[in-house]
Amino acid sequence: MKKLFCYIKPYRFFAVVSPLLMMGEVLADLCLPFLMSFIVDYGIEADGLTKLTADGGFASFVMSLLWGSSYTQLQLILTFGIMMLVITLIGGFFGVSCAYTASRAAQGFGNDLRCDTYRRVMSLSIEQTDRFTTGSLVTRMTNDISMMVDFVEQLLRMFVRAPMFFLGGSVMLLLLEVRFGTVLLLSLPLLLVTLIVVLSRAIPMYSTLQKKLDGVNSVVQENVSGARVVKAYVCEEHESQRFADANHALCDVNYRVLKLMAIVTPVLTVIQNGAVIALIWIGGIRIDAGATGMTTGTIMAGISYVTQVVMSIMMVTMVFQSISRAMASGKRIAEVLDTHPVIKSGDRSGDDCGEIAVEMKNVSFRYPTAAGRPVLHDVDLKIKKGETFAIIGATGCGKTSLVNLIPRFYDATEGEVLINGIPIQEYDLNDLRQGIGYVMQKSELFSDTVEGNIRWGDPEATHEDVVSAARAAQADDFISGFSDGYDTMIAEKGASLSGGQKQRLSIARALTRKPEILILDDSTSALDLATEARLQKALRERLKDTTVIMIAQRIASVRNADRIAVIENGTVTDCASHDELMRTSATYRDIYQSQMKQTEEGGNEV
Amino acid sequence: MNNGNKPSNATPPVIPLGPRRGGGPMSARLNAEKPKNAKKTVARLLHYIGRSGVVLISLLVIMVLVTVAELLGPFFQAKAIDTIAKDEITGRLTVDLAAMQGYLVMMAVIFVCSATLSYFQGILAAHLSQRTVRAMRNDLFRKISRLPIRYTDTHRHGDIMSRMTNDVENVSNAVSQSITSLFSCVLTLLGALVMMLYYSPVMTLIAMVTIPVSILVSSKLGKFMRKYFVRQQKLLGQLNGQVEETVTSYKTVVAYGKESESVEKFGVISSQLRACAVSAKVWGSIMGPIMNFIGNLQYVMIAATGGWLMIAGKGGISIGSIQAMLQYSKKFTRPINQIANQYSGILTALAGAERIFEIMDSAEEIDEGKREVSIAELCGEIVFRDIHFGYVEDEPVLKGLNLTVKPGQKIAIVGATGSGKTTVVNLLTRFYELDSGSITIDGIDITEIPKATLRRAIAIVLQDTVLFSDTIANNIKYGHPEASDERMRAATATAKADEFIERLPDGYNTLLAESGSNLSQGQRQLLAIARAVLADPKILILDEATSNVDTRTEMHIQQAMVALMKNRTSLIIAHRLSTIRDADVIVVLRDGVVAEAGDHETLLALGGEYSKLYQNQFAGLST
Repeated sequence: MKKLFCYIKPYRFFAVVSPLLMMGEVLADLCLPFLMSFIVDYGIEADGLTKLTADGGFASFVMSLLWGSSYTQLQLILTFGIMMLVITLIGGFFGVSCAYTASRAAQGFGNDLRCDTYRRVMSLSIEQTDRFTTGSLVTRMTNDISMMVDFVEQLLRMFVRAPMFFLGGSVMLLLLEVRFGTVLLLSLPLLLVTLIVVLSRAIPMYSTLQKKLDGVNSVVQENVSGARVVKAYVCEEHESQRFADANHALCDVNYRVLKLMAIVTPVLTVIQNGAVIALIWIGGIRIDAGATGMTTGTIMAGISYVTQVVMSIMMVTMVFQSISRAMASGKRIAEVLDTHPVIKSGDRSGDDCGEIAVEMKNVSFRYPTAAGRPVLHDVDLKIKKGETFAIIGATGCGKTSLVNLIPRFYDATEGEVLINGIPIQEYDLNDLRQGIGYVMQKSELFSDTVEGNIRWGDPEATHEDVVSAARAAQADDFISGFSDGYDTMIAEKGASLSGGQKQRLSIARALTRKPEILILDDSTSALDLATEARLQKALRERLKDTTVIMIAQRIASVRNADRIAVIENGTVTDCASHDELMRTSATYRDIYQSQMKQTEEGGNEV
Repeated sequence: MNNGNKPSNATPPVIPLGPRRGGGPMSARLNAEKPKNAKKTVARLLHYIGRSGVVLISLLVIMVLVTVAELLGPFFQAKAIDTIAKDEITGRLTVDLAAMQGYLVMMAVIFVCSATLSYFQGILAAHLSQRTVRAMRNDLFRKISRLPIRYTDTHRHGDIMSRMTNDVENVSNAVSQSITSLFSCVLTLLGALVMMLYYSPVMTLIAMVTIPVSILVSSKLGKFMRKYFVRQQKLLGQLNGQVEETVTSYKTVVAYGKESESVEKFGVISSQLRACAVSAKVWGSIMGPIMNFIGNLQYVMIAATGGWLMIAGKGGISIGSIQAMLQYSKKFTRPINQIANQYSGILTALAGAERIFEIMDSAEEIDEGKREVSIAELCGEIVFRDIHFGYVEDEPVLKGLNLTVKPGQKIAIVGATGSGKTTVVNLLTRFYELDSGSITIDGIDITEIPKATLRRAIAIVLQDTVLFSDTIANNIKYGHPEASDERMRAATATAKADEFIERLPDGYNTLLAESGSNLSQGQRQLLAIARAVLADPKILILDEATSNVDTRTEMHIQQAMVALMKNRTSLIIAHRLSTIRDADVIVVLRDGVVAEAGDHETLLALGGEYSKLYQNQFAGLST
């Protein structure tokens, strides 16, 4: 929490000036009653002018300065009236300036905090972002930060106002009559106890509140991205119910917080008015006892000061209320900021030594959150530079987990992964990933143009580079078919593209970066074999020195690879060329048979 | 034999992104750069609040009582102080302590009552706001679930989320804080007005001069300010979108080292938001001083005219009434000031409400089907007649498609990317509506069948598997929560998903992380197939359903699939021969029409498009 407040530092100028400007506004506010009373006492009252001369003071000084010795009551009203308006304007100017500086400080604080939090999220390891859900991260980044900003802004504006009113009010009250102090002594502790009780119960509720908000966000997110399935299974009602439950939970907590807070205003009313009653009573008794200096005016003044003190505490309550909200939100933000990426970057940049592009020594891997058997165990692999290396195996056997280790999406639980003979941990993460083109199983596109999405691979790429990559990825044909061609906007995650189109765009993206290692994770599954064959041919021509690691389901996709690794139950059982595997590996033959069966039956001999 | 599985196929998806500039018919209404009619938005908001009629009325009654108590309090306070009097002879102050005590007790009683009442006021206000917000959010969600697929395909999901939470939250705050204070302000204003009229109608008239001024100023200024608040909410939505997109696709972001670029992009939106928020705050804070000024102007005007009238001896004005007028004038300013102070909150809420109603106003899925059809009695004959369809105007995907699928037939659809394979599925399930032509099931036009019935008759497995953060069991039972565990296990066994599920430490009760990220893509597809098996539909659609499943597992499923497809009309889109070879009819789509149709042998013998595709496939295997 403390760390979060460091974010205010760059804006300390605004943060300091803002309360000062607030003082200006408060002073202007305090002046106005005096001017009003001048208008009433001297301007309206029948014998006002005589009283003015008798009283002297500021009012008489101003009048004689402006008008000399003779002026009418109307002149007096207008004079002080105009002064009132001018002071209102000045006070307003201070008020607006205070609002400006306070919001400059608060928004600047929020902006920096938001950007840093996002930067942190963007530096986390995959497993860590998986753990915070998308819905929760979205809430933290917007809603929680807004809470913090609101709090800072309120703090800056109330920072001076409340203490000024509180101190001013208490001092004036005591100056009037020391006995009035007992009223404060009685009422203040009562007030404090109430506040402490209420707030101590409210603070934990605020964290629940934000958690429930995450819940609502998550249901919405799932439903919006899974709309097709929801509709296909006619589950709109079921989902609405699920949402209603999440929503109910949120509103329920919100209601409980508001209900708890509802006690504050009545308690304040009772205490404030109790104080007023006590004050009048004390005044009455004093007068009855014949004390000098106690007049109606004193009592009236006392009442307004007590009211001021209680009001200032009311303001403090408001600040406290937003403190409790901000604390809950701050904790959630700090949680993100305090999460350090488990995968730490080394400082070595890519050296080009050795024959072996990727080597795995006795690697085991288990997902950090998953119990049970490891996904991978005892994996030993050597992939040569420039080699086309294929991986084949059953659903869920660990193929994707294996290639995930290469760009360090995850680190191996045991064993060692080396690239160019150097342990992967020693590399600078950016350099490491810079050299790798990774095409995911599930194509992920971004709201940008087609060209923008392909250029992701290499921001420096020219239009020609983009087109040539698209051509190699067999994507140029369909892109050119779009009426806006390469400038076509990709709607929400490529929802408007076919699976094959998305895959080819992702491949083109990987190609623009001219990677040393290209990983294709079953990323041609939606392509027909003819297209795939053309693609593979283009890849071979384009990427002579590139090490290609490809996961595939189809023998046809892998048979041209230099070597094929067969993975079963988390470990490499065989690794050789197609022809050799056909001789030596029963599993591979099995896979082959499963795919060739229908071809043979179809009467087309290999 | 090929790809093409998502919504739009052949035709370029030129549907531009961005929440507001969508290409669909509904998006024309969606351009809300400028704040729209505030009055209408307020009226609709009030309608929502009005739904909790009883709560609202009790709240208003209590507020009247509280206001009365707050007026009575000062009355007795004045009485109590008036018991202090100046002794005419001695000039000393005396006090009638007994009378004072009486008044003070009265005061105490009134304030305890008023405090109790205001406690209930607080509770009721909380109740009202939470009920309103709950209803609004539920309605919004229900609405979103009724929107056509086109909407979610073209709008940023993060922005939709932002409307659901941030915007609704703002409305909630405004309802719980502003509405109550607005009402009590109006009450106080009315009270003050009545008292002023009582003292001097003439001077009241003069005082009222300032009212049109304040209304004019606040409406003009408000109109100007609102654009900042609207923009602020919009930027917040964009920020949400950016976070949502990069977090859901985080692996790709990381793989391409785009973290810093994303951060930069985020920073741009964030600093725009900062600038906009500062402007909004500053403009919002100007309202208070302006209202203050107008209030004080009124005070001066009353004092000046009062003084002038008195000196001129006109209007029968007494000093007392001028003083009273001035007192009430101050009472007048306070509530207006209070409203002015809440102006930014109200504007933020209005901007949010606008964004909420924008979704609420979007055209829903058309579902005029009234004809009740018994799913059990359907045979599953599907006829596509002269289908024309395009996702975007003037860019047709299907151009006069004709196709008849006999009951129980297994039909495979093949064709190059963009030939419209998935489009056929989108139209049959009515995710999208035809431009012209008709689709009938057992001779009944599908537009006559209620959508729910139609979709219940169909089970569909997509390539991009959708799983929900729930247990595996509930994901399989999706759409059929009443299914027994035995049936679920049988379905899972059919889909060959039982093996890996049982290996999980919690088995069927394993909670899937968000979007099932703890399963492999192939495992997810198996779950989706199990889901379809459990649904036991009349018509089965497999849209690249096994593309990520390894071929041996697929072979196992295949047998189950054959059993599953028996007596059902099945539409299969796939590029693996194994999946389509056994189809009764293979349909080749080209240029939006059926180019060839027939079984495997016939088509091969024909030597046309299919045989070319098949040779390619074969070529892929043999080289």
